[in-house]
Amino acid sequence: MKKSTTALAVLAAASLSLGLAACGSNNDTGTSTTGAATTGAPSGDITGKTLTVWTWDPTFNIYAMQEAEKVYQKTHPDFKLTIVETPWDDLQTKLTTLAQSNTTDQLPDIFLVQNNAYQKNVINYPELFADYGNAGIDFSQFPQSVVDYSVIDGKNYGLPFDNGAVIAGYRTDVLQQAGYKLDDFTDLTWSDWLTKAKDVLAKTGKPLLSGQANSSDTIMMMLQSAGASLFDADGKPTIVDNAALEKAIATYQELVKAGVFTEVNSWDEYVQTFVNGNVAGTINGCWILGSIQSATAQSGKWDITDMPKLEGVDGATNYSANGGSSWAISANANYALAADFLKSTFAGSTEFYDTILPSSGALANWAPAAKSAVYAQPQAFFSNDAIYTKIVSYAGKVPSNNTGAYYYEARDAVSTAITKIMGGTDMATALKEAQDTVEFAMQ
Amino acid sequence: MSTIDLTPDQAGVRTPARHRGTGLEKKRSLTGWIFLLPAALLICWMNFYPMIQAFLLSLQSGKGAKLTWAHPAWYNYARLFKDPQFLQTLKTTFIYLVIQVPIMLILALILATLLNSKTLRFKGLFRTAIFLPCAVSLVSYSFVFRTLFSTDGPVNDALMGLHLISSPVNWLANAGTARFVIILGLLWRWTGYNMVFYLAGLQNIDYSTFEAARIDGAGPVKTFIYVTIPQLKPMILLTAIMSTNGTLQLFDESWNLTQGGPANMSMSMSHYLYQLSFQNNPNIGYGSAVSYAILIMVAILALIQMRVGDRRD
Repeated sequence: MKKSTTALAVLAAASLSLGLAACGSNNDTGTSTTGAATTGAPSGDITGKTLTVWTWDPTFNIYAMQEAEKVYQKTHPDFKLTIVETPWDDLQTKLTTLAQSNTTDQLPDIFLVQNNAYQKNVINYPELFADYGNAGIDFSQFPQSVVDYSVIDGKNYGLPFDNGAVIAGYRTDVLQQAGYKLDDFTDLTWSDWLTKAKDVLAKTGKPLLSGQANSSDTIMMMLQSAGASLFDADGKPTIVDNAALEKAIATYQELVKAGVFTEVNSWDEYVQTFVNGNVAGTINGCWILGSIQSATAQSGKWDITDMPKLEGVDGATNYSANGGSSWAISANANYALAADFLKSTFAGSTEFYDTILPSSGALANWAPAAKSAVYAQPQAFFSNDAIYTKIVSYAGKVPSNNTGAYYYEARDAVSTAITKIMGGTDMATALKEAQDTVEFAMQ
Repeated sequence: MSTIDLTPDQAGVRTPARHRGTGLEKKRSLTGWIFLLPAALLICWMNFYPMIQAFLLSLQSGKGAKLTWAHPAWYNYARLFKDPQFLQTLKTTFIYLVIQVPIMLILALILATLLNSKTLRFKGLFRTAIFLPCAVSLVSYSFVFRTLFSTDGPVNDALMGLHLISSPVNWLANAGTARFVIILGLLWRWTGYNMVFYLAGLQNIDYSTFEAARIDGAGPVKTFIYVTIPQLKPMILLTAIMSTNGTLQLFDESWNLTQGGPANMSMSMSHYLYQLSFQNNPNIGYGSAVSYAILIMVAILALIQMRVGDRRD
């Protein structure tokens, strides 16, 4: 397996340089693959004892898989996982290459997919995925907004793994210096937030937020916090005349103009801004906690709360999500074994989640796990607050939004528009351009 | 002796043996073909077959694996002219080409001439130092440049320290400066590489021609322009074609150094092609059309360069 995937990766790289060559896609007869049909045997007659998994982060999702393997081995001593470390960009390239060349037999049993990329991949390449119809997993135990990323035509294609619920982390010592408490920054609107953040900046010289100038992450979080997106229910782009988007961009502009949001160029610079203490907070998916905690000297000085909400927008809340990923079972999988393995670990073992939380910060989406005592333990780094319970409660309140198959196109187009707007282009013009770009891509 | 040809014209050697049919000659050419065969087959299989397939792909449209023949057949190629983002990347790539390639080749030529001097000491050291950037991976040097030119990076620190600027320049946030950083990176990475070609070319030039020029009273500049450059012409042509080809296919710097930003203003054509095929909804047919557009441009430019540069009648 490993050998052939390596060869494939080399081939894929080579073919790119040759001009995106030729994965023989002419013979699109789909001989052996039968689409995304629920072809798996009903769970019960489980055969085989090894599974192959593609996933990317050794300290996070690979670690979680290894722990899941141990948990499952307790009841299935012969069971073995082969985990192939595959960064997301490579994984996406592999999926595309395998689907185009009709070689789905090269797929692993299970692979991890970014939530935002789910619609795109399942809609374009249904032949790569098996749905969870026969897996016997109770999806109502996961937050609806997270499950929705991987539901296509009413079928579940993903088992939510990591939680992307948005948190607002602040340096409580800096807030205190300016005469504020964490409560002053909880459950408020962006305009209240701005007033207070300006005050903090004036008194301490520290902005509360930072982010990449080239990215629309902050805008996208604001959008989802109001349940809004860049597409309507029919999948048509709604970048123009989108009240929530306009409000989000206007808010973002105000933040940057007031100096309470520092724009930087790259991810590393962004992380540096709060690690070296120049910026006294951040708003992002809760996976950012790992980066926050890399500044060990700031232990005890941080705490988290919910994010501000948009004003005057229907359905606005203080909760949103950014990122996160879910496990897919491939069309080439040993379906019965893969489904049973996932069901008994990621969707059925509090013991498993209790193990992975403290050492990797991998927060459960699975509701029963959050009731465990491990989640309620105070975290010294975060002013002895039980932050994990907090985050799980935020996750349950995140409004669903429609990512759509063209999420990446729309997100990039909006990023470009924001760069232009910040450079002085009129908002309506820039958004019209973005809308045209997405519509052109959809043709 | 006026022009030295690196690829000696074989025609002169072969003409006397034109009596075909002699068993020996036949056998010889057959042996030659047998030696060529494995490489030729490999090239056909690994290069030409994918190229043909990619061309066929470029005539198909559809998202994902559901491809159908496009109507009309040139649909994807017509789409290129209506795609503002492609036209933008085309413009950006040509800006890189027009500015970077001439500067790099002239610089390489000057460096090669200097390092070819018989009086210079520590030549080996200098040659190695200038060639060394080529040994660095494209990705890692891109990351180093990104760090160097970040807002709080060493370049800004140095410029501020020298009081050349009063506040840090946000290099990668403006189209002009971001492109400048990419061009600077390309110059750093590739000048030494081209210099080595010129150095090799210079070894083939008879030193007596330089001496003759000196006796005739030509200074170093005149010797360079009237003696060195004309004799290096085939090499200059080769490097010009290679650099043009390389710049039109530029990917790593655009991807790693600027991520195409700001607002896609520094994105190269190959970066866009990757985005179309693997990051966005896979539009493989259109992506192939972009790759063929690049191929056609490289071919046309190489043809022009050969016509202009290779006048040996």
